Amino acid sequence: MNVRRREVIAAYLFLAPFLVTLAIFFVYATARAVYFSFTDYDLFNAPTWIGLRNYANLFRDDLFLTALRNSLVFAAVVTSVQTFGALVMASVLNQRVRGLNFFRAAFYMPSITSSVVITLIFLWMYQRRGLFNYLLTQLLANLPLIGMFVLVLAAAQVVQVLLERARGLSVRWSDPALLVVSLVVATTGTTALVLLGLVAPRTVAPVDFVWLQTRQEVPGAFPGFLRAPVPLIAIMLQNIFTTVPTFMLMFLAALQGVPSSYYEAASLDGATPVQQFFYITIPAVQPVTFLVVTLGLIGTLQMFDQVAIFGNAVPLRSVITLAYFIYNRMFPGAQLPEVGFASAAAMFLALLTLVIVLLQRLFIRSEGNL
Amino acid sequence: MKRVACLLTLVALLVVPAAWAQTVVRVQGYGGSDPAIVQRLIDEVIGNDLAAQGISIQYEPIETDYNAVLTNALSAGTAADVFYIPGETAPGIIATGKVLPLNGLVDTSAFIDSLMAVYTIDGNVYGIPKDFNTLAVFYNKDIFDAAGVDYPSADDDWSAFSDKLTAVSMMDPDIHGICLPADFARMGAFAFANGWTPFNADGSADLQDPAFVQAFDFYTGLVTSGAAVQPADVGAGWPGDCLAREQAAVAIEGAWILGFLRDNAPNLQYGSTLLPTSPATGLSGNFIYTVAWGINADSKVQDAATKVLEALTSPTTQQFILEQGLAIPSRKALVDNPYFQQDTPEAQGNLTVFEGATHGNVLGFQFGSVGTDYMTPSNNAMNVVMTGQADSATALAQAQQELTALLQRSQR
Repeated sequence: MNVRRREVIAAYLFLAPFLVTLAIFFVYATARAVYFSFTDYDLFNAPTWIGLRNYANLFRDDLFLTALRNSLVFAAVVTSVQTFGALVMASVLNQRVRGLNFFRAAFYMPSITSSVVITLIFLWMYQRRGLFNYLLTQLLANLPLIGMFVLVLAAAQVVQVLLERARGLSVRWSDPALLVVSLVVATTGTTALVLLGLVAPRTVAPVDFVWLQTRQEVPGAFPGFLRAPVPLIAIMLQNIFTTVPTFMLMFLAALQGVPSSYYEAASLDGATPVQQFFYITIPAVQPVTFLVVTLGLIGTLQMFDQVAIFGNAVPLRSVITLAYFIYNRMFPGAQLPEVGFASAAAMFLALLTLVIVLLQRLFIRSEGNL
Repeated sequence: MKRVACLLTLVALLVVPAAWAQTVVRVQGYGGSDPAIVQRLIDEVIGNDLAAQGISIQYEPIETDYNAVLTNALSAGTAADVFYIPGETAPGIIATGKVLPLNGLVDTSAFIDSLMAVYTIDGNVYGIPKDFNTLAVFYNKDIFDAAGVDYPSADDDWSAFSDKLTAVSMMDPDIHGICLPADFARMGAFAFANGWTPFNADGSADLQDPAFVQAFDFYTGLVTSGAAVQPADVGAGWPGDCLAREQAAVAIEGAWILGFLRDNAPNLQYGSTLLPTSPATGLSGNFIYTVAWGINADSKVQDAATKVLEALTSPTTQQFILEQGLAIPSRKALVDNPYFQQDTPEAQGNLTVFEGATHGNVLGFQFGSVGTDYMTPSNNAMNVVMTGQADSATALAQAQQELTALLQRSQR
């Protein structure tokens, strides 16, 4: 008994640093915020109890509703794209290919780079005369060359596969060995055509797409609450670029645990790599998918830093998220902070995150079912 | 041995009280280049006098969002004894009730009236302006000479100014007439020239007033006609960059551009002049940007803090700041300072900016309780028009709607 008690005390002693920090900076702070959310408080005058009025005012605030719409669209798009992208990248990197470690390290770079730095770099790339518009211009200008290349490639592949089949060999349309030959044919063919002057890059006006300073929302045909403002899409692209590698690492760890005999058996049965991906890989990593989607939802619903750094480069309404709305109300222009109102918005964001994470449990089970 | 101990005790008794008597006054302000300037002030101008009175200054620069940090610090009781009060966020900072009214403590009559107005609420003075800035036209003489175009002058009205810019931009596709950001902090000066004011008597704002629309169309028209370019479109961070890299012949900025040009384009031959006048009123318009020193109402060393504030805004301090080309003083008496008579581009630039405060319709860079959020709808409208996404009527209707919502919200 005495020993057991001493063990319990020792355990609490080891836990103490964490518990104290948690109690002060989390439990106490949250309790204060919950209390403030029911009051009219500006940091300088004593809070007055106003019941649920802050929460009611939230839904009368146009900017809050825009922030809510932006947050939900952002979370839905980014979470689905990053989860799928991470899984695909992980299964590619799970193959035995030469230089695998290099690719793993290279793909992981965006995740270990500071988000502030990446955002600043992306801000430059999104300028009207920035890298993205330059690449789009190059793509449009070289469209004839690319089109010709694809045409020759397809023709060469079809001819080769038909020849092989005429010889009685069963080959797939995407046979890799024949594809290499087709690539060589297409490259030399297109180069020859360019040298002969039969195909040439077009002269096109530089693409002048406004990524940041715009109120445009796409797709225009959708109703307002389903549309995404273009600057928000710019942030989505950047966010996906930086988060995919982190989640890829989790999927990669999960894939190491999938016995390779499954894949061997499947290929003996004639399953294509795509079929293997959908029928073996996806079910096998189900528990990790649950983790990735949960972390993704929490991260995206509370996205703040990128909006803060994009700052004045974009119209506020187009990128404001719930987390930024809270900050915006906490430190408004040249007036006293609306602490009560901001706390109410914070409580709403916390509840929303909780509800959405609970809801997704219904769709993705946290246990594997292979 | 005993004598040594006695001697030591005696020395300790003499020295220690002197150290105790040193009152430390904490001072909070911007980061960036300000810590170096304040340090030089302490070392070279005011430090000895204050030390003789037993006061030492400890400068604490705030590198991030100044308003957020100061609001938190004032609320938590950790703010410095003396701190900056930027003009545009002054209403909010003063509304905290933590800024000491200076009536009777400091002589305010020596400072420029339009600057004092920014910090006076209901007859109480809450800050002493440390310096100020206005906008002026800065131009590259070599480019104008090469293009054979007359330099911009204070007599130009908008159309004469615009003709000169167009003529310059014809010379070389890589050199633009002027570098213009989509920023109300620049464009607003043109609206002021037309007699427009940010707020109507009832506290509402009208961005569809013809006086505003005309200025808006002139400003954005410079970009859409090709005489002007937005800084970001030539890879520049701000118009000063365009001017320094000779991508544009003109930039409309304040005296802050002078130090930048000194460091980044030391050989640039440039001149400066007042902003062009509106054809409708014959007047120019301008913003006054200012930052003041204020005292913490909860400060435990208010007497010492008042002495520090007086030292920081004293004639000798302002003389030093002016002669070093750091900022433009807020004391009326310094108008006749010999510094302004020097024939260097820098001294002349400072003089133009100084004169800008008294030419035409000049308003403080301050937007009531909404602060700089006031500018956001107009900035967005400018951007949309400058990039050809909408016409000015549509853009301004949208901006008006957003601004009205913003103002209503702040009054709730």
